[in-house]
Amino acid sequence: MIVHQLPRRLVSLQGQYAGAASRFLAYALDLVVSTAVFTLAVAALSFVIETVTRHSITWTAGSGAATAVVFLAWQFFYFGYSWAASGKTFGMYILGIRVVRADGATAEPWRGILRALAFPLSFLLLGLGFIGILVQREHQALHDLIAGTAVIYAWDARAARLRFLAREAETGPAPGQRQARAR
Amino acid sequence: MSPIDPLGPLRSAGRRVTDPVEALAQQAAEHAVSLVDVNALVERVDINALLSRVDINALLRQVDVNALLDRVDVNKVAERIDMDELVEHTDLGAIIARSSGGMASEALDAARSQAVGLDQFINRWVGRLLRRKHPGPAGPAEATRPAASRELTRGQAGS
Repeated sequence: MIVHQLPRRLVSLQGQYAGAASRFLAYALDLVVSTAVFTLAVAALSFVIETVTRHSITWTAGSGAATAVVFLAWQFFYFGYSWAASGKTFGMYILGIRVVRADGATAEPWRGILRALAFPLSFLLLGLGFIGILVQREHQALHDLIAGTAVIYAWDARAARLRFLAREAETGPAPGQRQARAR
Repeated sequence: MSPIDPLGPLRSAGRRVTDPVEALAQQAAEHAVSLVDVNALVERVDINALLSRVDINALLRQVDVNALLDRVDVNKVAERIDMDELVEHTDLGAIIARSSGGMASEALDAARSQAVGLDQFINRWVGRLLRRKHPGPAGPAEATRPAASRELTRGQAGS
């Protein structure tokens, strides 16, 4: 069983600006998932071509550049479509965060696409565009400022806390959890 | 010429007698009430015997429950409920535990709460480094409204 604490104060965080750790972890997860899907897709495509043509495929430097372009296009689709359709990618879903309009309303699909287009700009100059997540009061990165978006906590912490209390009521509190719960 | 009431003098004489007697009776009653210790009287009343003579069902039948509920602010009442206590000390906790999620939702809750803890740790340190006196807005106005929060979490399955 996973032992963790879910203090009362977390419940009030819903709708507040998400911090750097949640956003970075969500992005790292997205990068792993999207790369894995892309690799699997390329491997499946190679297998199909080899089976049909009976020629083995070797990836040269030239094909590597083409693959990189396709990979970037796939990345743009992965992030752009997710943000436009639901305001969250798979990684953001796992971390319980979501892209909204800067005023907190649901972001329009075009903002999701614009955010995906502006996203690479944040990597320029050693990732200077991401500094805003740390130092800006609204935790907005460069691509957020361009698209007029913000990232907030969207997970139902109240339900999570009820689940936590319910589990605790059934199994009894783990050592040291009783004090942490009240905070 | 106005008719003469033969009983007029009699009534007038009666009033002269009854008015002071009525005032006297009023004073006597007030004095008697002031002498009575109501609390002591209530203590001597057997409430259980009294209640046993009351038909509560008949009384409740006369109560318009809808009218009563219309006057109650249910949201205010709900706000006063300590959900933590409710879940811990009733079967509600067991029901929630059995009906909602398993290891997956537990893992999600854990990952999210750990990430939030890390976020707050980083925010605290950045605030100290930048010597911020005020932490800034907690979140965008639209998203921090209670109704908006419910809207945002809708569809966040397993969350």
